[in-house]
Amino acid sequence: MTPRARAAFITGFLLPATALYAVFVVVPVVQAFAFSLYRWRGISADRTFIGLENFRQLLNDPLVWLALRHNLLLFAGTSVVILALSLALAHAIGHDTRAARFLRSVYLFPQVISLVVVAILWMFILNPSFGILNAALKAVGLGHWAIAWLGEKPTALASIGAAHVWHALGFYIMLFSAALRTIPPDVMEAATLDGATGLVRLRYVTLPMLWAVLRIALVYMAIGAMNIFSLVFLMTQGGPDRATEVMLTYLYEQAFKNSDFGYATALAVVNFVLVMALSAGILALFRYNPQEGRA
Amino acid sequence: MMARMLVAAGLWIFALSVVVPLLWVLMTAFKTGAEIFTAPWGWPQTPQWQNFMRAWQEAGIARYFINSLVVTLGTLAILLPIGAMAAYIFARYPFRGANWLFGAFLGGMMFPLFLTIVPLFFLLVRLQMLDTLHGLTLVYVAYSLPFTVFVLTGFFQTLPQEMVEAALIDGCGHARAFWKVMLPLAKPGIIVVGVFNAIGLWNEYPLALVIMSSDERRTLPLGIANLLMVEQYQSDWGALFAGLVIVMLPVLFVYWLFRDRIHETMIAGALKG
Amino acid sequence: MKPSKLVPVWYLLLVVAALVSCSKQAGSPSKELEVACFKGGYGIDFFEQSAREYEQQHPGVKIKVWGNPRVWEQLRPRFVAGNPPDLTYPGWGMDHWALVYEGQVIPLDEYLDTPAYGKSEGKWRDTFEPSLLQLCQYQGKTYMLPYFFSMLGWWYNKEMFEKNGWTPPRTWSELLALCEKIKAKGIAPITYQGIYPAYAVGGFLIPWVISAGGIEAFDNAQNLVPGAWKSAAFLKAAQMMDELRRRGYFQKGANGMDHTGAQMEFISGRAAMIPCGTWLHSEMRNVLPPNFRMGFFLPPVLDDGKGDPTAVGIGIEPWMVPTKGTNRELAVDFYKYMTSLEKAKLFVEQKGTLMSIRGSDAANIPEHLKEPVAVFRRAKTVWSVEYRQWYPKLGKAVEDATAALLAGDITPEQFVERLEQAAEAARQDKNLPKHTYVRGKDR
Repeated sequence: MTPRARAAFITGFLLPATALYAVFVVVPVVQAFAFSLYRWRGISADRTFIGLENFRQLLNDPLVWLALRHNLLLFAGTSVVILALSLALAHAIGHDTRAARFLRSVYLFPQVISLVVVAILWMFILNPSFGILNAALKAVGLGHWAIAWLGEKPTALASIGAAHVWHALGFYIMLFSAALRTIPPDVMEAATLDGATGLVRLRYVTLPMLWAVLRIALVYMAIGAMNIFSLVFLMTQGGPDRATEVMLTYLYEQAFKNSDFGYATALAVVNFVLVMALSAGILALFRYNPQEGRA
Repeated sequence: MMARMLVAAGLWIFALSVVVPLLWVLMTAFKTGAEIFTAPWGWPQTPQWQNFMRAWQEAGIARYFINSLVVTLGTLAILLPIGAMAAYIFARYPFRGANWLFGAFLGGMMFPLFLTIVPLFFLLVRLQMLDTLHGLTLVYVAYSLPFTVFVLTGFFQTLPQEMVEAALIDGCGHARAFWKVMLPLAKPGIIVVGVFNAIGLWNEYPLALVIMSSDERRTLPLGIANLLMVEQYQSDWGALFAGLVIVMLPVLFVYWLFRDRIHETMIAGALKG
Repeated sequence: MKPSKLVPVWYLLLVVAALVSCSKQAGSPSKELEVACFKGGYGIDFFEQSAREYEQQHPGVKIKVWGNPRVWEQLRPRFVAGNPPDLTYPGWGMDHWALVYEGQVIPLDEYLDTPAYGKSEGKWRDTFEPSLLQLCQYQGKTYMLPYFFSMLGWWYNKEMFEKNGWTPPRTWSELLALCEKIKAKGIAPITYQGIYPAYAVGGFLIPWVISAGGIEAFDNAQNLVPGAWKSAAFLKAAQMMDELRRRGYFQKGANGMDHTGAQMEFISGRAAMIPCGTWLHSEMRNVLPPNFRMGFFLPPVLDDGKGDPTAVGIGIEPWMVPTKGTNRELAVDFYKYMTSLEKAKLFVEQKGTLMSIRGSDAANIPEHLKEPVAVFRRAKTVWSVEYRQWYPKLGKAVEDATAALLAGDITPEQFVERLEQAAEAARQDKNLPKHTYVRGKDR
């Protein structure tokens, strides 16, 4: 293929997507970045240039650090749970039992319904008076554990995490399910014949072969945890007393409650940079695939 | 044996944790507002079919349903081909600056949506695409591209090259090779990406909220959110849950229709590989 | 090699899409009006009906009324783009004062000095309750107008009280005694909407600040007088709230309840009293048990309190005329029609809430509104939580601190300290326009 023909081919194939993306995503994003250098109430077109003032304010804002902590906690907590559960379930779902077949049909349901429904559902489950969680706890005699899960500082964030995991799990089950199928069955057979038990197989066969997918999954979880918004917004509004405040809810508050669009955009910029950094960090950290170390 | 039982138990627990809440929503849709709070986990006394009627009227579901359908299908029709085309290039045709472009696509997934909404709004006003179904469709395509390109690129990277190379040797052009050989091979990935996009589009709320202001052009999530907030003020929880059921059912149904297909293609794709 | 034949199709699609325009309405002739409303507990049917009536009385006029529960989200970009509606009631989620600072809404004083709808003399201004009009002013000009207004207070379960021979407490000592009796019956004496601390602020904190230190204590705080937020009055109010918590008079788990949850607890008889505005009945009407009667009373005051025991808290949700709207005269005239005495009385009857038009309480008041109306007529002092809109960060800080106090996470001393810090931050913020509330002759 001549270089010119190749260039034409590449351009032709890339152009539609790139053009649409540039017009409707990149341009607004760049404009939004520009807004972070202004003081803008977001209610008229008037704005004042203030340079990096918003960023200076951001660094000194204790609530920003608090929100960030919550995002990272959510990432750490939910990713462990999601990884463990989705790998196990993806593996189990491949079998040909009745349970597995049934689960194959329904595991994506939480992903299919909107976050609004998820939030409402979990608010009802966690309701201190008549929620099913407390009802179940009381039924088994653990009534003193029946508290206001979303209303108490120690448990609010974890409750949000639970709802998030419930919603997100299906996607990762699907991802790992597909990935597990790419492992040649003869490799698995060989390992089993060699006497490797489940956990050993997991560590020395499954995980290495799934490395690329695991990396991507982790990046996804990071993005999801850093950008979490709807659940927190609907279930706790960042409360009680900011116990569940996350970057995006704080951002929303600055933009739409405090009419401080410039500051809010600065927060968005910082959040964006952090997400990129986190993703890059994960990709770099997990680049080394143990499998490639072997023959 | 023990392990197998544990696995089965684990599966059933998870399956139930998914199905029970949804069945609960269904059951709750038949209750009166008061019943929902006084006896939330019990059976409805008499099925309140009127809940569904009120939800249908209040949320204007028929009209919104069609809007959502048009926009979702329209978006997929544009998104999947051009997304696959771009992904194919990223996967198999490296060029200078490719990584930057790919990174640019990736970056789009990370920027929180509602801050681009105001500049985007201005843009649509200028293009005279505000409050139009085609405007919303194009915006949806643009915002769905990062995920689509990201996943399909990875997918294309794992597909075997031999068949394409054979076609090229046979004199087939690169583009033709893509449409005739690669794309069919990529069907499992495209189906999965398509399904996920469809679900996200069906439930999309913030963009639709700002872009579509007139009642006739609103999509289903706007209707449901409306319902949620209206019912919060009027405490017509029965109608709210009925509305939720009406909204969830089509998606769940479509998903149910395709569930085996998804699994089939995933397994088939893996076996071929 | 030629690029695939399909590529040009996508170009074409893009171009076509860009060109195809959904016809935007050409500039509206002077007889068209767009009215955007917040659709809350009272809906927008009343406004739509008014529009139809107005159109009949003024042939050739077309009024489009629309709305939804989060209309401000759609209005904001329109304000930025410079094509707002002609008349709007944006709702609680819109930052009204930002609109004022940016000149996005017009001052209405010139219109207020003209006669009311259908009248040839007098001033429209005088048809409004003056204390409510004052809430709409900034630097001497009136930028918005009230429509209905709500009162803040406590509600009690009438049947429960009558059955047990209880009466709504008027003083602190009566409250403590009553709560003990209620608790003994296994009922939660007081519940509240924990997830939205604003209810507790309006139902407990501010009334008790006023009771302890007089209305000045609250006015000074709103005017950001240094030290006002940690005054003795504020400390006392915090201590009272803390006292109720320590005695277990608040319902367990209230901190995690949203407004519907807490209100359901009240409706279902699991809690005896709840702080809420006069919208409570309207909000819960679909789930009220048959024959449920709710009674309204002002928060109990300190036995030796300095403040006016008849003081009542109110709130308005204003309407405004955007500067870049297309037809001010029509907008104002339509609003004049909606605020005419007949329409005001009709709103009271249909929606069960009080209207800001004087004399509108002569209407056929629904049962649950009778006590609030009586309270309002008796009230010698009227207050309103304005700082929450003037200084949103301060408002949020007060709410966060209240949530912490009610959860027992901080002491009253720490509470007032946090409040004062937030007030100081507001004072120091040079980019925050300051408001001064000068208390006029109240009623």
